[in-house]
Amino acid sequence: MENVLNKEIKEIIDACPEVGRILDEYGIGCVPCSVGSCLLKDVVGIHSLDPEQEATLMYRIEKAVYPGRNVAKPVVDKTKKTAPKKISYSPPVKKLVEEHVLIKRLLALIPAIVDYIEGSAKVDKELILNCVDFIRTYADKYHHMKEEDILFKYVDEKAEVIQVMYKDHDTGRAHIRQVVEGAEKGNKSQIKEHLFAYRDLLTQHIKKEDEILYPWIDRQLSMEQVGEMFRKCNEADALVGDELPRKYERFIIELEEKFLQEVAK
Amino acid sequence: MSGCPGSKTIDFSEKTIQEGGEEGKRPSQLRQWPIQMHLVSPQAPYFQGKDILLAADCSAFALGDFHKDYLKGKSIGIACPKLDSDQEVYIEKIKSLIDDAKINTLTVMIMQVPCCFGLAQIAKEGAEKASRKIPVKQVVVGLEGNILSEEWI
Repeated sequence: MENVLNKEIKEIIDACPEVGRILDEYGIGCVPCSVGSCLLKDVVGIHSLDPEQEATLMYRIEKAVYPGRNVAKPVVDKTKKTAPKKISYSPPVKKLVEEHVLIKRLLALIPAIVDYIEGSAKVDKELILNCVDFIRTYADKYHHMKEEDILFKYVDEKAEVIQVMYKDHDTGRAHIRQVVEGAEKGNKSQIKEHLFAYRDLLTQHIKKEDEILYPWIDRQLSMEQVGEMFRKCNEADALVGDELPRKYERFIIELEEKFLQEVAK
Repeated sequence: MSGCPGSKTIDFSEKTIQEGGEEGKRPSQLRQWPIQMHLVSPQAPYFQGKDILLAADCSAFALGDFHKDYLKGKSIGIACPKLDSDQEVYIEKIKSLIDDAKINTLTVMIMQVPCCFGLAQIAKEGAEKASRKIPVKQVVVGLEGNILSEEWI
């Protein structure tokens, strides 16, 4: 089992797809991951399952990978019910989770925006570039930069799970460059393809951060580090000023009003 | 059950299951004097920029590893929200610790008895009155020295 624990998750799932299905049952969504280079031991560790759940998961994975092996089944006390874990974020991490909400509101509007672009005679370049401005300034510069410059510095940046986050940020930036190119050329299918790809990528990315990565980082932080990170995030926010998040919240509200009306027509 | 849970007589001297051992000596992690909230000054050097533990008087007696797990690396103020007088002074001192001493974080450690939650309320009011914002955590200790909850407030 030691060998499997140190293998990359994608390699394990490719060789034995049943492992992907088992992980999925435990809320560990590695199958659609764009990179899959996390080691199995890190994947299991980061999800902070209770000891009984973890023992059963490892037993099932070992049975799936080595069907002929005689593996001892862990004893599970079925009378013992585990209460669902409530995630309690530290204040600086909670602020990052709250910023995700505005980004998710844009992601939710992408299908309606794409429908509108496809149904228009000419590409509404201003609309697309305004959405790109939100993504580049609010989602990327304001939010992702705090993750990259502050949050990720508190853990081993070489850890695969952090590398996957960096890769997602880069992939997202590449999709947005394609969206801009599509808007410049008036190429509707290019805009559609890359806006949807961005939406899928960021939806998974935010879910991973909110449910797995942020709680994992929080568990490792001392009080001193929480206070320091809180101060650094506040300083970063002060540099851009209060008006920036307000401006982009107004933009999303206007977009919602416009596209909710479009849907109602 | 009747009467005040904060002063109700409970005897758990028969408790036999003990985790941990008696080996080795535990050094004190206290790095300052005084510690009582009426006696400390927010201007004291040991508060400047530090992580602060505001502990209910009883908590250090209940929690076996108080020094190792909670006091280490922190400066401290202790108080009893049930018996201490002039508690509005505590609110002002917490505000001053945040604004003037520019403390990094505040951990409020209270016992599980209802009257002890008053100390968390004092910390909350002090933090709300302060113009600086800092992370504040509440730790609730059970009567038998177990940690019942840790949450950001």
